[in-house]
Amino acid sequence: MGEDVQKAALRLDKVGIVRQGRDGETVEILREVSLSARSGEITAIVGPSGGGKSSLIRLINRLDDPTTGKILLDGEDIQRLDPLMLRRRVAMVLQKPFMFDGTVLANLQRPFLYRQEPLPGTGSEELRHAMELARVSSDLIERDARTLSLGEQQRVSLARALITRPQVLLLDEPTSALDRPTADRLAATFHDICRSQQITVILVTHDLRLAGRIADYLIYLEGGRILEEGRGEEMLARPQTAELRRFLAEPDEKES
Amino acid sequence: MENAKIINLELLDLALAYGLVLLAIGLARLSRIGEVRQMLWASVRMVFQLLAVGYLLHLVFAVRSPLAVIAILLAMAGFSLQVMGGRIRKKMPHFYRVVGTSLFIGCGGVTFLFCGLVVGYSPWYDPRYLIPLAGMIIGNSMNGASLAAERLSAEMRERREEIETALCLGATARQSSETAVRHAFRAALMPTMNTMAAMGIVSLPGMMTGQILSGTEPVIAVRYQIAIMCAITGAVAITAFLILLQGYRHYFTSAHQLRERQG
Repeated sequence: MGEDVQKAALRLDKVGIVRQGRDGETVEILREVSLSARSGEITAIVGPSGGGKSSLIRLINRLDDPTTGKILLDGEDIQRLDPLMLRRRVAMVLQKPFMFDGTVLANLQRPFLYRQEPLPGTGSEELRHAMELARVSSDLIERDARTLSLGEQQRVSLARALITRPQVLLLDEPTSALDRPTADRLAATFHDICRSQQITVILVTHDLRLAGRIADYLIYLEGGRILEEGRGEEMLARPQTAELRRFLAEPDEKES
Repeated sequence: MENAKIINLELLDLALAYGLVLLAIGLARLSRIGEVRQMLWASVRMVFQLLAVGYLLHLVFAVRSPLAVIAILLAMAGFSLQVMGGRIRKKMPHFYRVVGTSLFIGCGGVTFLFCGLVVGYSPWYDPRYLIPLAGMIIGNSMNGASLAAERLSAEMRERREEIETALCLGATARQSSETAVRHAFRAALMPTMNTMAAMGIVSLPGMMTGQILSGTEPVIAVRYQIAIMCAITGAVAITAFLILLQGYRHYFTSAHQLRERQG
């Protein structure tokens, strides 16, 4: 246990979100969610849409703040960190890759632009490193980013997230807009990056096949609560709760 | 110019002019286009509004007190702010505060500079100058303000993905909303730019024609028109800029987080 906590780069401690609903009543979106994620491992959060997965992952780079509980990065409360500094350490790839106007190069330079740092050129070490990890072909560098295929765009957005060498990588439904073969190849890339860079990866998905294949640790979230958690495929093979059994049986949820 | 005589319009002349509206109404009726009632109502309303304003201005001109002039201008601004607030459905957060202060600073500042330094009449509150000049500046700024506010709110809604992607990559709130703000600013200035481009060729501006009608030399009237266009452009730009500068902030928390959907 002591060792586990030590190695856990990221820890959520009884995190909850309460929002004001339309009619003024309070809605509990997350309730006492605790988890530890270790570096060099992929922690997948699975569950039906509306179960709180995306709300949860958005807390980790402070796109939102929780109502209760704490999130610790290397033992430090992220609430006490400057959000701009935090987002350098905790990168995020969203479901739909957003490409800014301009070339792939311009897109990859964005993080440096925002920090008003010198922009890395085509041959720079930072660019090569990120593109290699995300497997973005160097032929694409001068292309207009908006003309790329969705799969290529998602790789560019992955490279863009990795270019500042983050410690934690958050993936919010990163493959759900892609077709199956493209999604599978991208998933393999996530796995390789996690291992080779010893990054802590948090993957949010409703795609159980994907989660079972690449995740080291699985968390099943429904109704804003963790109902089950365990080591990868083991958990999927022997679901303990009725909710997870039902989720496993629903083909739509897994394939959409 | 000094001995230019202005032909006074008698009530009979007005009645004759109103005959043209009746002609239009008759035509609409004949061709069964409808709109008869609306046309009648709008024209009657126009007549009474203008007559009322005429007497009100007459009174203010007679009193010549700075307070009365300022009160009229504030009422004009307040009224149009109200109209604008009613028309815009999706209001940005803190709409009235943001738009109100921006208009006050933008129009107030430009009007002050324009009347004091450019035209340079005295006393500064002389209603003959201040009311029409400030009126034009306020009216145009109001349009610009309305466009800026409306567009910003639309842009912030439509660009959520772009803004959050930028935030994830370490952008500040301001950097992430740069495109949205730029587009809103452009939208606010568009009508003024178009008016300037068409001026003198497609249209003869109202103030200039009015001055010419009342006997001013065209060369002088044109100078006034140029000056007021510059003032309007400046006022629209400053007002829109202030609205956007204050406005975008309200969409974010102090931790560079985009707030929940609103406005």
